[in-house]
Amino acid sequence: MPTPYPKEQMHRFQFTKLTKEQIAEKLGPAIQSGPTSASPLADAFAGKSITIVTDKGPTLAYQFSGTNRLTVAENGGAAASAGYGALTLGSHMVFFSHLIPDTQRGYAVVVDRGTNLATVIELWFSGYEDNREVQREVYYGYVDQAGQQAPTARHVATNRCEGKGFYWKQDAGAETLEFYPSAAYSNFVELSRLGGELSFCAPSDYVKINDDYYIYTRTECEFSGTFTAYVMDLNRLRQAGVRLGFDRSDALEYYVFRGDGEWLGQHAHFEKFGDEAGNPVPAAAPGQTAAKGARRVYRPFKTMAKLTKAEVDAACAKRTSAFVRPAGPVAGMSGNLGPNTTYLAGRAFTLRYDHAPAIEYRVEDAENLNWRKEGDANWTKARYQGWESMPGVIMFGHLLEGMPDHDGHAIVADFDQGLVTCFNGYLNTPYFANEAGVKIHFGVIEMEGLIPPKYNRHKFTEEMLGRAVSQNYAPNLTSMHLYSTPHSLSWIIFTDTDAGGLQWSGPAAYVKIRDGLFFMYWLEEACNGTLGTILVNLHTMRDVGVGYNCGPNGLSMSAVGAHERLAGQFDIKRFYQVPTTGGAV
Amino acid sequence: MSGKEKSTPTRRSFLKGGALLAAPLAVAVPAAIVADDASKGRLAKLENEAAIRELHRAWLRSVNTGARDEAASLFADPKRAAFDTSVSGIAPDHAGAPDAIEVAADGARAAGRFDCVVEVAAPIPQDTTLAQMAHAQGGGYIRRTERRALHVQYAKASGAWRIVKAEFA
Repeated sequence: MPTPYPKEQMHRFQFTKLTKEQIAEKLGPAIQSGPTSASPLADAFAGKSITIVTDKGPTLAYQFSGTNRLTVAENGGAAASAGYGALTLGSHMVFFSHLIPDTQRGYAVVVDRGTNLATVIELWFSGYEDNREVQREVYYGYVDQAGQQAPTARHVATNRCEGKGFYWKQDAGAETLEFYPSAAYSNFVELSRLGGELSFCAPSDYVKINDDYYIYTRTECEFSGTFTAYVMDLNRLRQAGVRLGFDRSDALEYYVFRGDGEWLGQHAHFEKFGDEAGNPVPAAAPGQTAAKGARRVYRPFKTMAKLTKAEVDAACAKRTSAFVRPAGPVAGMSGNLGPNTTYLAGRAFTLRYDHAPAIEYRVEDAENLNWRKEGDANWTKARYQGWESMPGVIMFGHLLEGMPDHDGHAIVADFDQGLVTCFNGYLNTPYFANEAGVKIHFGVIEMEGLIPPKYNRHKFTEEMLGRAVSQNYAPNLTSMHLYSTPHSLSWIIFTDTDAGGLQWSGPAAYVKIRDGLFFMYWLEEACNGTLGTILVNLHTMRDVGVGYNCGPNGLSMSAVGAHERLAGQFDIKRFYQVPTTGGAV
Repeated sequence: MSGKEKSTPTRRSFLKGGALLAAPLAVAVPAAIVADDASKGRLAKLENEAAIRELHRAWLRSVNTGARDEAASLFADPKRAAFDTSVSGIAPDHAGAPDAIEVAADGARAAGRFDCVVEVAAPIPQDTTLAQMAHAQGGGYIRRTERRALHVQYAKASGAWRIVKAEFA
């Protein structure tokens, strides 16, 4: 039976490094045919001539014949003939796209016929070291009206889309969840193409046309390089746009689409009131001019250290550290960490996992413990840290020195209920040996005077699904988690003006410990390889946790702690038909 | 006169002192010569102070825009131009004492004292994904402002003032 799931998820798929010549060959037919469309093309400009003048960009003189042929002259140059496709949205908006003959360039254009203002997005291939990654530059301008003065108003980059989330279904059937938690990036969940297990992130543009209509773009950097842009009507929940790029089989995708949406909610954003500025992550440093198409793109796969098993073993032998306090005045991610608990000091207990070896503990004090697998004769000493997030609930972590895969345990033990959950981090994973993997162990606490349950266990939960929670770890070190699917989360990094900036995502899982208390992990796969774990207390709005990371400088386990704010929640549970908690729907 | 009155100059006492100081000079030399020398000296002092203020403004601009090379060119010895790299901005402290510039009697050296509001930016170590991403988007600094006094020594060579040393007290 076919499933919607890919053999390799997007961040694992090895997209072909296409040459310029291969791209030119693939673009050739589409230049003349124009984009395909599942919906009838619009004749809004058929038989008309218009000239679009842009600020700091091209002047484009068009002659449209019919619904799929045009000529275009750039900056007064010779007119070139190409195919095009146009779609209308509402009574005023026209979206059209075309390529330029004998080039690897093209345009996506939005014209508001009510105001004659236009946004022109120039697109091109072979402009980055990965030729398939579509580059873009956004220009603002107007449709020239003979004998009339040029308007002074313009469409404008904005943060007014920040915090919105939509379900979109396109005319050709593609279904996505799309979240805009940043003013510079966005999340997309490919429901129909990839089964919706994971969300992914992409650099994005947001342009305000008016209070109802906005333009959105994303470029799937680090993945296929595919570009998507659409104009959307936030009230009527409709979109019209274009998709341009090469798919997994390196086939050209160039089509215009219509789509209908569902509003999923709105979470908070944190800029000062009155700040509606877009582009919060400028491409160029202050005082410098950005090159055409430049923008800041997070490229974690390109920059991550990729170690072999032998290199991991050597790195761990060179340096393995747990809970080393940061040097210097900058506290990093432990700046808002609460005090280490003494709850475990002097206690002896066994954590009996259902499907993993039981671990026995003798805890010396607030920072040192001894552990051994049940049945082993010898104890191993380890440095640990622990925090009592809720009365009787202790989160603690330690490395398991001597294990072949350099394991580390992040544990939440509820001594009032006798339940324990362990996120067991380990190395020597299939893609890169230093990339952390995780095993999830549910079980019980055995301790003198404590009778654990026989059947009850902590459980996976969907209660956090769709929520956005900000974390302030230290001054100027603030991020936000968006729990975007049952199996992944995204992290958004705030700028100095508290706008959402760069973001990325990874596989994740959520376990409910108590009402308002959730234990979760995320894996920074094809990124830094880190296993992040936090225990989120929605009553105190604090989180504590441990990070587990291996790189060229060794293996480390570190503490994190943050003050949180609840930013809101998207209504997306209905898109995941089989609850992870099991049971009948 | 009370002790408090002695230690607190008033406009009245200033005017009185000025009048007493002027009286012997008027008696000792011809008024026109005195006025000419005084004017020249006063003019030279004002010109030196103006040049130093302009030099100070140029240095502030270069520090605030991160133009360290430009800042170095304002020093008598560019090798001594190294300045606290954590300082990302310096602004006048309008709640502080007035700027003070004292030109030495030889007219070749000077010292300035400027009360400032200083923005200090400490980079967050890039040992976590979050910090790496913060730096990647042009942030990644913990910024704070401090009120501090800037002490600058100047020297005049070939008719132009240059900074000899700039440091916070």
